[in-house]
Amino acid sequence: MSRRALRGVLGIALLLILWEGVARGFALPSYTLPSVSEILLSVWRQRQLLASAAWFTMAEALAGYAIGCVAGIGIAVLLSLLPPVRRGMMPAMMAINSVPVAAWSPLLLLWLGVGIASKIAAVALAVGFTVFLSALAGLDRVDRRTIGLMRSFGAGPLSILWRLRLPTALPLIASGMRVSTVRSLIVAIVTEMLGAYGGLGWIIYQAVVQIDFVSVWSAILVASALSLAFFGLIGAIERRVVFWR
Amino acid sequence: MQRRHLLTAAGAAAMFPAILPRRGARAQGTTKASLRLKWLPQTQFAGFYLAKARGYYEAEGIDLTINPGGPNLLTENLVATGADTFGLSGGTDSVFAAREKNLPIVCIGVSHQQTPFVFVSRADGPIRTIQDFKGKTITTWYTGANSVLLGMLAKAGLKPGDFTMQPQQVSVTPFVDGQIDVVTATRYNEFYTLMTRMGRDKLRTFAPEEQGIVFPRDTLIVSETTARQKPELVKGFLRASMKGWREALKDQKAGVDVVMAAAPTLNRDHQEFMLVEAGKLMTAGAAARDGLFWIDQATVKSAHDFFLEHGVIKAPLDLAAAYDRSFLEAIAVADRRA
Amino acid sequence: MPVCAHPVPPWLLMGARFILGLVAAALLWEGAVIAFGIRPHILPRLSTILSAIAATPGAYWSGFLRTLLETLIGFAAGAIVGVLNGVMFFRAPVLRDLLFPIFVVSQTIPVIAFGALVVLWFGNTLLAKAVIAFYLTFFPVTVNTLLGLQSVDPRQTALLRSFGASGRQQMLRLQLPMALPQIFVALRLAASLSLVGAIVGEWFGDTTGLGVLLLQAMYNENVVGLWAAILCAAVLGTGFYALVAYAERRIVFWGAEQ
Repeated sequence: MSRRALRGVLGIALLLILWEGVARGFALPSYTLPSVSEILLSVWRQRQLLASAAWFTMAEALAGYAIGCVAGIGIAVLLSLLPPVRRGMMPAMMAINSVPVAAWSPLLLLWLGVGIASKIAAVALAVGFTVFLSALAGLDRVDRRTIGLMRSFGAGPLSILWRLRLPTALPLIASGMRVSTVRSLIVAIVTEMLGAYGGLGWIIYQAVVQIDFVSVWSAILVASALSLAFFGLIGAIERRVVFWR
Repeated sequence: MQRRHLLTAAGAAAMFPAILPRRGARAQGTTKASLRLKWLPQTQFAGFYLAKARGYYEAEGIDLTINPGGPNLLTENLVATGADTFGLSGGTDSVFAAREKNLPIVCIGVSHQQTPFVFVSRADGPIRTIQDFKGKTITTWYTGANSVLLGMLAKAGLKPGDFTMQPQQVSVTPFVDGQIDVVTATRYNEFYTLMTRMGRDKLRTFAPEEQGIVFPRDTLIVSETTARQKPELVKGFLRASMKGWREALKDQKAGVDVVMAAAPTLNRDHQEFMLVEAGKLMTAGAAARDGLFWIDQATVKSAHDFFLEHGVIKAPLDLAAAYDRSFLEAIAVADRRA
Repeated sequence: MPVCAHPVPPWLLMGARFILGLVAAALLWEGAVIAFGIRPHILPRLSTILSAIAATPGAYWSGFLRTLLETLIGFAAGAIVGVLNGVMFFRAPVLRDLLFPIFVVSQTIPVIAFGALVVLWFGNTLLAKAVIAFYLTFFPVTVNTLLGLQSVDPRQTALLRSFGASGRQQMLRLQLPMALPQIFVALRLAASLSLVGAIVGEWFGDTTGLGVLLLQAMYNENVVGLWAAILCAAVLGTGFYALVAYAERRIVFWGAEQ
């Protein structure tokens, strides 16, 4: 393990010790701050419930993530090929994007109901815009002279897109996709907390109502671990695919 | 996350002054206090808003701030920690849950004497009696209403596997669109939405009372510390609240106006309807004789036994400690009645 | 404005185009709802939404101002702390190694889950909302400040040092200005995130704000009210974002040249 990674582990360990110490030292009730050991114990006790909820949320997040990535990249490519459409569409896209997902979630719930469709839509919306904007920025990064050069060799717009624009845009698209991983889970959980049939957000909501704050923290711990794993996975794929960076 | 600890310290520092200076402020005649509602501003809480607007809390020496509730906020928690002085919390169910979790709160009054929600099916549909719930899809709130429903159905001879029960949130649209067969509705909120969207004659209701289950809700709570150390504050709060409610129920226009001033985007027709329904719930049962916020111990006991029987609470609770009627009893009966 | 040499100053042209675009979008919205017979439950007519705002302008205006204030405070705090964090991490790699993973983990936590705790700790104050907005914004600014500082050519730093520049002078004269384009990328993101934080923060028992209006509308199934609040949020979001982007163009005008 590198020195850097060691220090990172040390930092988190110190924090956990401090947390445990504060929670125990001040004998804080669990509705203010439960201790780390209490939370871990509760995660273990409820492992089956949490695992199925985590799977539920992850499925929503993954579905929304996939739709969002495909739509985001697709629309970005389309608009980069059709500059007049792009000029007309961009203000509307920016206006939709400027409304926080937190504001769309209530509407999506009324439209699509409390089931998984509203969660997938919310995630797709959040991921889609992030990926769309980074893909567009990536597609724009191409050196005009290189395009000119390719044109002079008789390359059409599609060929320029495939051979030049997309490869140039890939690192930015990948970073947009990486950033969106964490967002996808958070958005799924936030929307679940407003109304759902299951998932980590639903557990959090129920636990708050039933005054079970250790369970709230347990669900958050699982959510956080899940986000990190998803982030790491996409990061690893990115390093393999965009190796030349 | 380190900063969270700093915040805890800062939060604790910010929290305690909120409790401490009251003793000092008392010398000058007014005590600062706050009331945390169970939900967003609406005429379900009109009496409190009216009492504040007309200065009844001030007359009792209380400088009261009314804090709305919301999803993911738990009144019991905020009152137990001292973040809020008074709370209008979920109901007998949430008081039981809080006491079971050792949250140091005491119920000092019950607002809705009857179960405020009903189960609704389509009048022209196949569900005519409670036995017809068999094989149907029902949505309900998993915050107590689910146990009431299970209890009602058990009395009708249905087992949990005989029907599909799903959590209900946000919208009654699935019921309006016919995707589910039975929906849960508070008499003052969802039922109004259902009426306006489908018409009253299209709806058939099933009330828990018909099955002999009474489930009082909208409980007034304080922390054990407040109950012990500031009984006068609690009595003053109750007196002023009763006065506000009495006038809100008599002069409903004033009651609706004061709430609309706090939340102008609300639908006035709905709020008027809500106040009428809230008034019915508040003056029903024992409250007709013993006054507003009356704690009917027999009803509380039967709700407790019901929850115990259905495993919602694991062990019997000390009801005398959880429901303290002494503050109400200190007020003359004539002043309590609506 | 100074007298312009052009017959039509460019800002006027831009403004006119902007307003024209808005009018076109509004007509499109109104027309589409009527032409396709979209149910008001899905998408009400724009005129219906605007008249809902006009019916209680005070509620929307005070909500707008309140959310704006929370957004600004959270944004400012997040930006300042973020830049300071970035500088601190740049100067002290040990600290960076120790704290950075914690910051990363902190960003995977859905802040809404802690709404009740935030109210417990900070009460129903403006501060509580600003804290949530801050929580969402400080991290991207930290990351980009650090990245920007790290991308400064060490030879330039060495040159400045050879002229006898102190560490502080190197930071203020060379490293921070060089990092500004990167920092601004994060600030634009932070502008949107701080608005999210403010709105979500208002879901925890507040009395005014766009978040309150959203929640109230959602639970009353008032789609018109929901859209009215969304419209206000869009105006606030676009306006603030445009302001930050404008500042970026004015301040890092050299960004493209370097």
